Amino acid sequence: MTPARPRKGTSWAVVFGQELRDLWMGGRGLVLSFAFSCLLSVIAFLVATNKALNFLEQREAVNLTLQVAIAVGTLLALLAAADAVSGERERGTLESLLLTPVSRFEITVGKLLATLSLWFAAFIITVPYAWFLGRGISIVGETILIGLVVGTVLAIFVASLGILISVFAASNRVSLSLGLFALLALYTPTQLPSSAQKGWAGELLLRVNPLTAGEHYVGKVIASSHSWSEDLAWLISPFVAAVVFAAAASILGARFIRLRGGVAG
Amino acid sequence: MTRIRLASVVVLATVLVLGATAAARGADGSSSLSVTVDRSQIATKLGQKFVFRSTITNSGSTAVGGLIAHLNVLSFRGNVYVDPEDWSSNRVRYLAPIPAGGSTTITWHMEAVNAGSFAVYVTVLSHELAPTAGPTVTVAITQRRTLNSGGILPLALGIPALLGLITLGLRLRRAGYFARGRSRAADVG
Amino acid sequence: MTTPAVEAHGVGKRYGSLVALADLTFAVQPGEVLGVLGPNGAGKTTAIRVLTTILPAGSGSFSVAGVPHTRPTDIRRRIGVLPESAGYPDRQQGQEYLRYHARLYGHSRASARAVARTLLEEVGLADRAGSLISTYSRGMRQRLGIARALVNDPGVVFLDEPTLGLDPAGQRQVLGNVRRIASERGAAVLLCTHLLAEVEENCSRVLILNHGRVLAEGTVAEITRRAAAPRSGRLHVAPEHVERATTVLVGSRAVEDVQRTDGRPGALTVVFASGVNLDGASMNEAVRILVEANVPLVSFELEGARLSDAFLAMTEVV
Repeated sequence: MTPARPRKGTSWAVVFGQELRDLWMGGRGLVLSFAFSCLLSVIAFLVATNKALNFLEQREAVNLTLQVAIAVGTLLALLAAADAVSGERERGTLESLLLTPVSRFEITVGKLLATLSLWFAAFIITVPYAWFLGRGISIVGETILIGLVVGTVLAIFVASLGILISVFAASNRVSLSLGLFALLALYTPTQLPSSAQKGWAGELLLRVNPLTAGEHYVGKVIASSHSWSEDLAWLISPFVAAVVFAAAASILGARFIRLRGGVAG
Repeated sequence: MTRIRLASVVVLATVLVLGATAAARGADGSSSLSVTVDRSQIATKLGQKFVFRSTITNSGSTAVGGLIAHLNVLSFRGNVYVDPEDWSSNRVRYLAPIPAGGSTTITWHMEAVNAGSFAVYVTVLSHELAPTAGPTVTVAITQRRTLNSGGILPLALGIPALLGLITLGLRLRRAGYFARGRSRAADVG
Repeated sequence: MTTPAVEAHGVGKRYGSLVALADLTFAVQPGEVLGVLGPNGAGKTTAIRVLTTILPAGSGSFSVAGVPHTRPTDIRRRIGVLPESAGYPDRQQGQEYLRYHARLYGHSRASARAVARTLLEEVGLADRAGSLISTYSRGMRQRLGIARALVNDPGVVFLDEPTLGLDPAGQRQVLGNVRRIASERGAAVLLCTHLLAEVEENCSRVLILNHGRVLAEGTVAEITRRAAAPRSGRLHVAPEHVERATTVLVGSRAVEDVQRTDGRPGALTVVFASGVNLDGASMNEAVRILVEANVPLVSFELEGARLSDAFLAMTEVV
């Protein structure tokens, strides 16, 4: 019996569902989440057992936990995204996927959304730690909401970047290496001396860079008790980056997903 | 010696009598600023936000411009590290000119970030005028046990343990360890 | 005249200056098994990839299952493909893998489950449906790949080297599946292989490619005849009758020479007179002579009458 044509635009959901199963039932997602929880446990234990913890240090502890969650959560999403196309190519399973009537656009979208699950898992794991560290000083709700919004925006940006790299990389190893390099390069401005960061060039660099801008915003609201609107301008680059890169990944992925990797293809 | 001591006491008494009001005189003596606060005592808990208002009055005969109001925080006890930036993120206010006889009120939003007894005061100055300090607002902040550090252990151990068990269980289930009567050896051909 | 299941006219494909395919023209009818033969690098896989819309054609036109090449998504909806270098996700179960692909072709969840179950039974993997693909042998993976190629009940099935790396039992199993696809489902099958015996036994027609061009197209017999008329044959008689066999054969006008094959008692190589052995007539004459002379004949075979001989003759010259 020839199957009915699928409803227009639903194939991405089938791809998304299977990619989720492969990530989580296949075990990779759970292993990464387990490793992440170990890291958070160590950090939370160290800050919680600091006897001299005053109120502000407690805010700093919550901020640190959230920053680690965002950094590692986006890293996990990037790793999954960087493997999404180039990994399938090397494992020989991409051809079977391209032979189906599913459009390349829907394949890309399904894979991109699935990689975000790693960020959401990291975020959910972070919630109890943030609750524990922040419950005495009434910032739990704020922390969770800010973490979810900013972290998700950054995860979309980073995952989209990973997909783009994966589509064009000549091999999976190149894809993963480039992805990690890109993430490290984006975090490098945070290592500049504070005097350099405060100059106009340094501040511009921090604002334009979505990761540093997002980190700055979260720190100001959680650690420095700024209101939500006080530093809202810092969220412009994360939102713009998320939209632009997600669109680029979907459109360019649809155009350039091929059996052979590399720019020439 | 007795006369010197007597003079010191008189000076101190004068300062105390003047009490909640302080005045500054300009070089030409034609303007004077005074700083008052809406309350002199605040009691709160660690981590709570609180607010007080300071009113700067120009009792001189000419308008005063270029004024800057500055908020400060000190601990009455030594060996307590206080970073005023932690208490309030907006401690410096640039004021509009105050006409003769006029006044302006500033609302200060603060957060109690240390436990103990603290002095909060506002200073006003400009290019022409020496700093005028307002009265001290005494802030008593009670300690709150906000974090039970020992309680972190169940969380720090429990979450990784739970995730580890789920991971292991799923892997074994997928590999067929929990399937009864099913061979896991690969067939030939 | 039925519409061909696959029809190609002048299809070409280049990679820079390298001509991968040139002027590929052929047709396949429904229910037919077309063997696509060629040495390594002949363009077989490129041809498959162009016809299955994985690669765009550089020139020419084609239609698959009645759908023109300008509608690649519709083509993919109607075909099943087992690529040469097909990989399988190790961490998926066999049934899960088939269900996923069934859903990609539009099956509902329930329908996908049923299709997966049916196909796994058909290819003999029903008892391993719930096992991880990582535990499958190579033969099982190929059978799984064939099942996946049938998940959308295709009108045309492309199989690229389906028996590669399989032992004889596995090859037999896979080729049995191939024959059933054509006979029971009525689908056209394009079987890409470099194993000539596979083509001889399973294909109704053959397409020989080399350097991206079609060298020959037709039935096995037509291609074999076109290559060269066989000039010799091998006869095997009872060893004690070798002398008598040689004597009677040499006396025939159709036979030019008879030689004993070293190391094989009773084996003779017969060289036919040139220009005489059309459609094996000389071999028939030789057999008739031996029968009339009461020489027990164990076996006989024309040399140069096999597809392998024709194939080698065609591809070595070019």
